[in-house]
Amino acid sequence: MQLLGHLATIVIDGVSYAAWLFIISVGLTLVFGVLRILNIAHGGMYAVGAYLAAYAIGAAAANGFGAGAQLLFAATLAVACGAGLGILIEWTVLRRLYRYPEVLVLFATYAVFLIFEDATKLLWGGQSRYANAPRDALGQIRLGELIYPVYDLAMVLVAILLAVAVSLTLSSTRIGRCVTAVVFDREMSASMGINVNRIMTGTFLVGAALGTLAGALTAPKIAISSGIGVDVIVLAFAVTVIGGLGSIGGAMAGAVIVGMARAVTAHLFPQIELFAVYAAMAVVLAVRPQGLFARPEARKI
Amino acid sequence: MTLRKPDTTIVVLLLLAIGASIGAWWIPGWIRFISQMAISAALASLGAMVLLRAGLLSFGQGLFYFAGAYTAALSYKYLGLNEAVLLILFSIAISGGVAAAIGFFISNYRGIFFAMLTLAISMLVYGIAVKVSLFGGSDGLNIGLISILGFRYRGPDLQLAMFLICIWTAGLMAMVAHLFLRSRLGKVIEAIEDNEVRLEYLGTSVRSSIHAAYVLAGALGGAGGVLAALSARHVDPGFAYWTTAGDFVFIVILSGQASVLSPFFGAFALEVLRTFAAANFPDAWQMVLGTIMLLIVLFVPKGLGHIFIALGARWKARGRTVVPAAMNEETARP
Repeated sequence: MQLLGHLATIVIDGVSYAAWLFIISVGLTLVFGVLRILNIAHGGMYAVGAYLAAYAIGAAAANGFGAGAQLLFAATLAVACGAGLGILIEWTVLRRLYRYPEVLVLFATYAVFLIFEDATKLLWGGQSRYANAPRDALGQIRLGELIYPVYDLAMVLVAILLAVAVSLTLSSTRIGRCVTAVVFDREMSASMGINVNRIMTGTFLVGAALGTLAGALTAPKIAISSGIGVDVIVLAFAVTVIGGLGSIGGAMAGAVIVGMARAVTAHLFPQIELFAVYAAMAVVLAVRPQGLFARPEARKI
Repeated sequence: MTLRKPDTTIVVLLLLAIGASIGAWWIPGWIRFISQMAISAALASLGAMVLLRAGLLSFGQGLFYFAGAYTAALSYKYLGLNEAVLLILFSIAISGGVAAAIGFFISNYRGIFFAMLTLAISMLVYGIAVKVSLFGGSDGLNIGLISILGFRYRGPDLQLAMFLICIWTAGLMAMVAHLFLRSRLGKVIEAIEDNEVRLEYLGTSVRSSIHAAYVLAGALGGAGGVLAALSARHVDPGFAYWTTAGDFVFIVILSGQASVLSPFFGAFALEVLRTFAAANFPDAWQMVLGTIMLLIVLFVPKGLGHIFIALGARWKARGRTVVPAAMNEETARP
């Protein structure tokens, strides 16, 4: 019975962590799929989203709104600002670099990330911020012997909704099918009359907004301070790489694998918890260098 | 007997090292110290540059900077090794060894995979170093009195001797890197960026070439790390943090990758920039870095060092027909 309880704890922890991982990496993998860019600035968007949420939640709480309104306000503000920043970056930086080598684009998104790091520090100061009001207000729930924050379980629901929404958009709407076509073959899509540039701008906008949304949703769970973006970019990369860069289903699988690996080690071998994520990534990459769900690419001779 | 034309880069390196050694007596101590830190960073960046020649962007040079610095600090603390030259040689060897070990794994990856895996490994090491008490935790370790070639200098003499050691270690390592880049293997590295499959068909192992370049990059990073450790007499886990590696990446972008001299130019430029930014924008250092990096990537993608090379080429070509700029753009990679 005790063992079973332990197992349940690990599974619930793993699922909740996996949900968070999926939320932080879905924007990254979407942008990679369409633009073929690893957007290091995604970590910056996450940090901006977290700070915006802290501001929004604080402001809403001061005006006497409840937890639901606080979260809604935070998410709306984060998504709006994320979309705006996304358009700005795409227009000023990325659009000029699409024909350049991968390394140069990586430099550029890294530079944008550095700018974001300090911009958040300048705007919101160096000290940690907290936005835990909504998470506290939602309280805790008893699952058998386990007491768990409702907010963390709600994140699982949000992650599933997000996954369904993104998959449905990609598979069943006109724009989504255009996006899928661009992912598959950019030149062919252009010749079939798809406005590839507009699809790319739009995808980057959505990816950026998903980045800030991830930050906003995480804000109530953490101490928001400078430097939270780096860990996220490494984790999100690990997740997307395991699943195969650019595949939504892959991001889900990657999130579950990393989440479970981390939960198992955190409970059974806490001293090697730090290694779990990287070990999972190393094992998957050693077996399938392109990730679990990626299409093999044709070699150019 | 005909005398072979001497290699310009090696001559320039020798002249710089000799000039700095003679000038050392007149250079104020604080400039010497800043130069030592710049030289250390330049060596690590040189490693990043070697990899970039193969089209590989490493966010993990900080790892070898860390390895070099901590090898020195740990050998000093636990092995009682206090001879600077031995510490330098030992640290370079260990960092090269670490690179050789990681290289078996990392040489399979290209592009963003390479960049992110190098970042992940160094962040992992940072995470361990902060926690492990053997490494002094987040406070790091101090290096006490050291002897240089058996002499136990004190005060200003020690600083001067340390400066000379830095200059000559850096000069020698830069020459090694130059000889590597000039060798057959160095040319193979450059060809990797153009087309790997073609190289494989020509009978070259791309993987082992990258492995070799990675070991050299590790040794260079370790050399930079040990010089920084001996100069500052202190090491901390920040050496492996991503911002350290980010500085090296910045140096390479700033200076371009035309010659082994480029990172030295870039490192000094970064030091000047840091002084300027610390005075004017104390809280926005990364932002200044990022903005300049973005401007360079957008407008001078070959790095500022390329401007000198373009000027030099124009000077050499004066009187002759000038190659149209458009043709240059096509043949040269950014």
